[in-house]
Amino acid sequence: MGGFRNNLSIEQKKYLHDLKIDKIKVMLAQALLLIGFLVLWEVLVNKGVISAFIYSSPSRIIKTIIELIKNHNFFIHIYITLKEVFISFVLGIVLGFIIALILYEFKFLAKVIDPFLTMLNSLPKVALGPLIIIVCGANIKSVILMALLINLIVNIITIYNGFIGVDEYILKLFKTLGASKWQILTKLVIPSSYQTIIASFKLCTSLTLIGVIMGEFLVSKSGIGYLIVYGKQVFNLNYVMTGIILLGIISYILYKLIIILENKLLKHL
Amino acid sequence: MNDLLEVVNLTKNYHTKKGEIEAIKNINFKINEGEIISLVGPSGCGKSTLLSIIFGLDKDYKGKVIKKDNLKIAYMLQSDALLPWLTIYENAILGLKINKILTKENLDYVNYLFNFYNLSEFKENYPKNLSGGMKQRVALIRTLALKPDLLLLDEPFCALDQQSRLMISDDVYKIVKKEGKTVILVTHNIEEAVSFSDRVIVLSKRPSEVKNIVHIDFKNKSSIYERRKDSNYHQYFDKIWEDLEIT
Ligand SMILES: Nc1ncnc2c1ncn2[C@@H]1O[C@H](COP(=O)(O)OP(=O)(O)OP(=O)(O)O)[C@@H](O)[C@H]1O
Ligand SMILES: [Mg+2]
Repeated sequence: MGGFRNNLSIEQKKYLHDLKIDKIKVMLAQALLLIGFLVLWEVLVNKGVISAFIYSSPSRIIKTIIELIKNHNFFIHIYITLKEVFISFVLGIVLGFIIALILYEFKFLAKVIDPFLTMLNSLPKVALGPLIIIVCGANIKSVILMALLINLIVNIITIYNGFIGVDEYILKLFKTLGASKWQILTKLVIPSSYQTIIASFKLCTSLTLIGVIMGEFLVSKSGIGYLIVYGKQVFNLNYVMTGIILLGIISYILYKLIIILENKLLKHL
Repeated sequence: MNDLLEVVNLTKNYHTKKGEIEAIKNINFKINEGEIISLVGPSGCGKSTLLSIIFGLDKDYKGKVIKKDNLKIAYMLQSDALLPWLTIYENAILGLKINKILTKENLDYVNYLFNFYNLSEFKENYPKNLSGGMKQRVALIRTLALKPDLLLLDEPFCALDQQSRLMISDDVYKIVKKEGKTVILVTHNIEEAVSFSDRVIVLSKRPSEVKNIVHIDFKNKSSIYERRKDSNYHQYFDKIWEDLEIT
């Protein structure tokens, strides 16, 4: 990139150094906060201030994880949840993109189904649980359907809004350059919606997680959601806490992945 | 001289829910090959509308626009409108790409223009890293790259400070004259109209009609700067000023 000095001045070096120091300070504080929280949790439970039965404790969670690993089902539960999240996420984005594109091309259709989309969007999907189970059976299909019901409508609406938000002026520019409808779509409408599409990735990640866990509660066969339901049923709340911690870690990692993707794709915007 | 384009009894109304807006009322004029025409008129009088109709984007009008056979027109919009996700070089060749004419000859011409406008070393930069004047030049290259016979320029210099404005308009003037292109320039700026064009068409306020057509003659002065120093410059300026005032 042009415009920057090549050799660093002392001030520039100091500036970069300060940036680095600042970043390290934030990370240290975060680590301290986390460790402090874990230690406090452990101590409070050991001193009997809060109930070990209900709130578990870091050491109990580690023991639970070891036990789960020994019983050979720990990684399988994680794997299954991740698989369901991945499939629902990709399906949600791809279908959302395609449907948004269809609505963009057929404005009449978009106008017609607008109120129905709004209605579907605000409908609490949990209510559809029993129906889903009856139609798809107690298997991974139900989980994915539940996740899709939750993420798809939002994806369609966000991506569609990205498409129709294309700058009128640049649209006119493309016409003055003699672009065909197809060229306008592929060279303008889709590229200029990158930002909205990535934004919908973020939203979609959390909605998909919600949907998958809800689906696993419903189907109750495997996955982290199942672990939580199972823990509740056998009154082993260590399972519940372990599940919650795992979900926290997974959502954080997924979110980070999206951020990395975002930085890669939107470098120049 | 040959007619390149003739506008006959052109009338345009916009239809909106709130009612009908008369934008252009019965406009007539002719343009010869190689001529530079300026359109001046009050804000909102219908200048951009007129360019859209001449280019062929807007087909909903009454009257006639008669063009010479196979006339190649390029239209530079009122703002630079560069795509942020493309480098300025990719922006500049966008028109060539869309029209599938990325020939060696055309690319050489683009490179020549990049050199001419001192932009060669910035080719791989993205628009956000450039100044307003540089972006305007890129938009101009994008328009010129299509090698049009007729250039429609909608206030191409209005986003620029006075100094860049003079510099860039002088650059454009030289290129246009050298390559014998015909130009219709829309501007708010009377100085620009006088220093840039062979004829100035003064439009009335909306619905716009042709108020007056002023012929400018600086006897082969070859730059904007020289034209501005001509002894008749102020006379032309005052004439157009008066025409605009009466409207
Ligand atoms: N798409 C449209 N629908 C309805 N009215 C419009 C539309 N485009 C322009 N107009 C109206 O037509 C008139 C002429 O607009 P136009 O943009 O051609 O003016 P202009 O002379 O280019 O103005 P400016 O100097 O501000 O660029 C204006 O009053 C405007 O409000
Ligand atoms: Mg205008």
